[in-house]
Amino acid sequence: MGPRYLARKVIQTIVTIVFVLILNFLLFRMMPGGPEGILLRNPHITAETKAAARARWGLDKPLIPDQLVDYVEATAAGDLGFSYKFRGTPVIEVIGARFWPTIILIGLAELIAIVVGLALGAQAGWKRGGTLDRVGNGASLILYSMPYFVIGMPLIIIFAAELGWFPTSGMLTPGAHYDSFLDQLLDFLHHLVLPLATVSLGLIGGYSILMRSSIIDTRSEDYVTTARAKGLTDRTVLRAHAFPNALLPTVTVIAINLGYVVAGAITAEIVFSWPGLGTLTYDALQTRDYPLLQGIFLLISVAVIVANLGADLLYGRLDPRVRTA
Amino acid sequence: MSASAAQIDVRGERWRLRVRNARSFGRTFLGRTDGVVGLAILAVFVVLALFPDLFVGKLETATTASGQALEPPSAAHILGTDDLGRDMLNLTVHGARISMTIGFLATLITVLLGAVVGIVSGFIGGWLDTGLMRLTDFFLILPTFVLAILLAPIILDTIGADAEILGIKATLVVIVVVIGITSWASTARVIRSQTLSARERMFVDRARVIGSGSGHIMRRHILPNVTNLIVANTVLTFAAAIFTETTLAFIGLGDPFQPSWGELLNAAETSGAPGLGAWWYIVPPATCVVLVILAFTLVGNALDDVMNPKGADRR
Repeated sequence: MGPRYLARKVIQTIVTIVFVLILNFLLFRMMPGGPEGILLRNPHITAETKAAARARWGLDKPLIPDQLVDYVEATAAGDLGFSYKFRGTPVIEVIGARFWPTIILIGLAELIAIVVGLALGAQAGWKRGGTLDRVGNGASLILYSMPYFVIGMPLIIIFAAELGWFPTSGMLTPGAHYDSFLDQLLDFLHHLVLPLATVSLGLIGGYSILMRSSIIDTRSEDYVTTARAKGLTDRTVLRAHAFPNALLPTVTVIAINLGYVVAGAITAEIVFSWPGLGTLTYDALQTRDYPLLQGIFLLISVAVIVANLGADLLYGRLDPRVRTA
Repeated sequence: MSASAAQIDVRGERWRLRVRNARSFGRTFLGRTDGVVGLAILAVFVVLALFPDLFVGKLETATTASGQALEPPSAAHILGTDDLGRDMLNLTVHGARISMTIGFLATLITVLLGAVVGIVSGFIGGWLDTGLMRLTDFFLILPTFVLAILLAPIILDTIGADAEILGIKATLVVIVVVIGITSWASTARVIRSQTLSARERMFVDRARVIGSGSGHIMRRHILPNVTNLIVANTVLTFAAAIFTETTLAFIGLGDPFQPSWGELLNAAETSGAPGLGAWWYIVPPATCVVLVILAFTLVGNALDDVMNPKGADRR
């Protein structure tokens, strides 16, 4: 992977992030009543107050380049404005408080889904047309057709409402006092099971389908035939020759998916009232908290774009054929 | 033989060829069990969507509700009732019309945008191609679902949620437009790459030599050669559009007075149905959503394989 490839990818990434910033800037200016109408939600405001506010916020300056430059500078410094819903708390703080629950939930779910999904897809594709393939591929297609909340709501009905094995919502039992950290951790894990199962199931279908078609492609490759001709067992051919090569295309998809963590979690978090970025997005939407919504959009976009860069670079490392490109 | 007779013959031959192609295509497609199953499921839902009144009567509202709140399934209400006492079977069947209509319109916009961008970008080339593909890449990489969540309320606040556009409630139109704006990019990419190869074919050069303009060539020569791709792509886009609509409605961007399946699931969630164990409020719309998305995916995959046999070995 030459330095030119690296430089080009990094520049592309920066340009894309600048595009997102401009889009975010324009969206806020597009809104009814303009920014001052949103910030001063008071129908009885006088023209003088409005003009003063415009001057104070720099809204009397030309839109481009002055306002845009101000916006980009402030954003780069971590100033995403103030939330309406949380009484003027800086957006960055509101988001920061809800960051970890989402990362834990999605991180673990991705881990489970990658291991199970890739294993299932590889086995199914290797013994194509067999029982595991028919059942596994059918199940994967069905899971792939299910939004997270369609998976999560039945899980609540069965395992929380009917069987009472798990709590229906939240991350910790409200008002509980813990004797030790271990107790708290156990309570947390107890709450984690159902949301984790939901997101994992939602992700497994896609990974399994991808791995299956990828392994089917490698079955007819020359190096697989060679491995067979050497007299290696079927297991070894799959494990040591087909699987690592079939992994290549899935690596990109997984890396990109990691960037979508928050977006994907929104509905799963809503169903389980998991106090992460998903429920935060939902609350922001209900109260039309635009600064908060825009902050979340910006954060997720940057995460996805950076994950894409990571995927490109990783792919370049893994597959020597790409390096010259 | 006179010139006109030869011409008629050519036209007849072209028709015979088309009929033969359609027949052989039909035979191959009918050989695909998954595609046929998907098609059968879709047929049922299309009939439900076209004539919901025929099966379950008019859409029940809070004032015309026929039962008590959250009744479990019984002889009077086969699928039970919702928290307003409305019959779930009635709501679910009417939901088919709303979900399928939104899905259809959103797909139309998506494919139209994607096909136009793809064909123009691929055929014209040059700086226009570079610019359009930059834009496409931008939309491909952007988390479009989050953009939709941001865009929908902004547009709704701008035009007012109670406004009507061509007699349809603004909420539904906005959902359609937002899905279209945020999901055309992958279609454009696929169509562009096919256009690039069609552009190099002999008949395009021939058309240019006899003086055809770019617009004419794109319509008469490029479009027919990417139609296969557009059709397969449309079916898969439909699945994605229903998925997105359901999710957007679930997080509260739907219209409670014209409930799609996602909106019904949103109502179930906000009324606390999962925690109450009211499974009949959730299972009917959820099953329909999964069945329709699955059916479109099956048909789309089968079409893709039959029309583009190169990838057929995969499924």
